[in-house]
Amino acid sequence: MAGIVLYNYELDENCYKVRLALSMLGLKWEPIAVNAFPGNEQTTPPFLAMNPLGTLPILKDGDLTLFGAEAILAHLARANDAAGKWLPAEGADFAGVMQWLVFSAGALAVAGEARRNSLFDTPGDGEALQASAGKLLRIMDDHMIARGYEGLDWFAAGHPTIADIALFPAFALSRDFGIDHDEYAGLRRWGRRVRSLPGFVTMPGIPDYY
Amino acid sequence: MTTAGVWHPVALSASIEPGSSAGTHIDGKEFVVWRDNSGAPHVWEDRCPHRGMKLSFGFVRGDHIACLYHGWQYDTAGQCRYIPAHPELDVPGSIRVPVFQTVEAAGMIWVATEPTESAPPAPQEAGETVSVRSVFFGAAIDAVLAAIETTPSRPFSDEAAASVLRQIDGRLYALTVGNDRLLLGLHSLSGERTALHVVIAGPAARYAGKGQAHFLAWTAELRHRIETQPAAAVAA
Ligand code: FES
Repeated sequence: MAGIVLYNYELDENCYKVRLALSMLGLKWEPIAVNAFPGNEQTTPPFLAMNPLGTLPILKDGDLTLFGAEAILAHLARANDAAGKWLPAEGADFAGVMQWLVFSAGALAVAGEARRNSLFDTPGDGEALQASAGKLLRIMDDHMIARGYEGLDWFAAGHPTIADIALFPAFALSRDFGIDHDEYAGLRRWGRRVRSLPGFVTMPGIPDYY
Repeated sequence: MTTAGVWHPVALSASIEPGSSAGTHIDGKEFVVWRDNSGAPHVWEDRCPHRGMKLSFGFVRGDHIACLYHGWQYDTAGQCRYIPAHPELDVPGSIRVPVFQTVEAAGMIWVATEPTESAPPAPQEAGETVSVRSVFFGAAIDAVLAAIETTPSRPFSDEAAASVLRQIDGRLYALTVGNDRLLLGLHSLSGERTALHVVIAGPAARYAGKGQAHFLAWTAELRHRIETQPAAAVAA
């Protein structure tokens, strides 16, 4: 199939990362709805053939099939943003984007676990997951407080990058797993700036009021 | 007369941008801190009179704050002015959010939780300030004060110097380190949770950037100490 196809579940925060990127990059795409809850369709053989990890999102772009939200963001940015703003090609900006993408896909995945535990009752110790997720949001907040001293509004560069897109859902959806925004002034400020970007879209759990 | 028990710092002035809101607690009670588009700060009970949802989840439009849930809008006096489901309705004066006297001093937003008439003046501190941050601890105010005494900051402007903590008034403290002076607002979120609002007393020309980062590192050290030491050891 030609064009971009996203195997999508509306309530999945990783799918939301990709929807945000597609919208901010102004791309045309088609969703294919996946019954992730309660169906767990993404763990059935046709999906495992595309992503053996059994997770969403999965993206098809022409002949390419990709899984993992951060890899998908990097691909979409490289393929569609000739100016290299969303994914800077080199230097400290590139390094910063890589650091925060890895943070997002690695350590911060616990925020997704905390959220799924709270919303869908997936296995896990809810309180421990919430505490771990809170600590990671705090690391992000500390970073953005320090960035503010340099007059910088974004995680990795002097302008928004795919790192900001990848990190946004964990903060914006934190109330789903019982963490309020009260104690994260640096992230509140950043979150308002993300919301004001052209192409910003919400998802269930993120109020649309701007 | 001390202002302790009356005036509470609830946020750094810089943390509440015009047209934004945030929730907080004072001694376990919920408050919303918001700033209207003209820049005036407001601290109210964090409870919408409609169905009791948190106003801090809502959004600011001009000089109104709107509740996220059904869009009821309140003016700066806490009076409900607009109910989307009944746009023609002249809203009764009884639909009103409890508001509290709010001032800005020492780079922080302060609220009087006692009735306005009997409140003593808010803590005063003249001069330019530069924000560092608000930092949060799972400890009561006394333990945080003790940790500040035992985790001195290094000065930014000198090599080394003793640090001296002094209460200015109520919940406002000054920490002097060499030629630098920090203003500390101690904010009791609950019996076991405290926020420390930290600003530098001094000109941005001297402290913006590196000076802020210097004292940010101190807040991280302080937080680490409180989180890794048993309470008794911190208080000792
Ligand atoms: S609860 Fe606030 S408008 Fe309904």
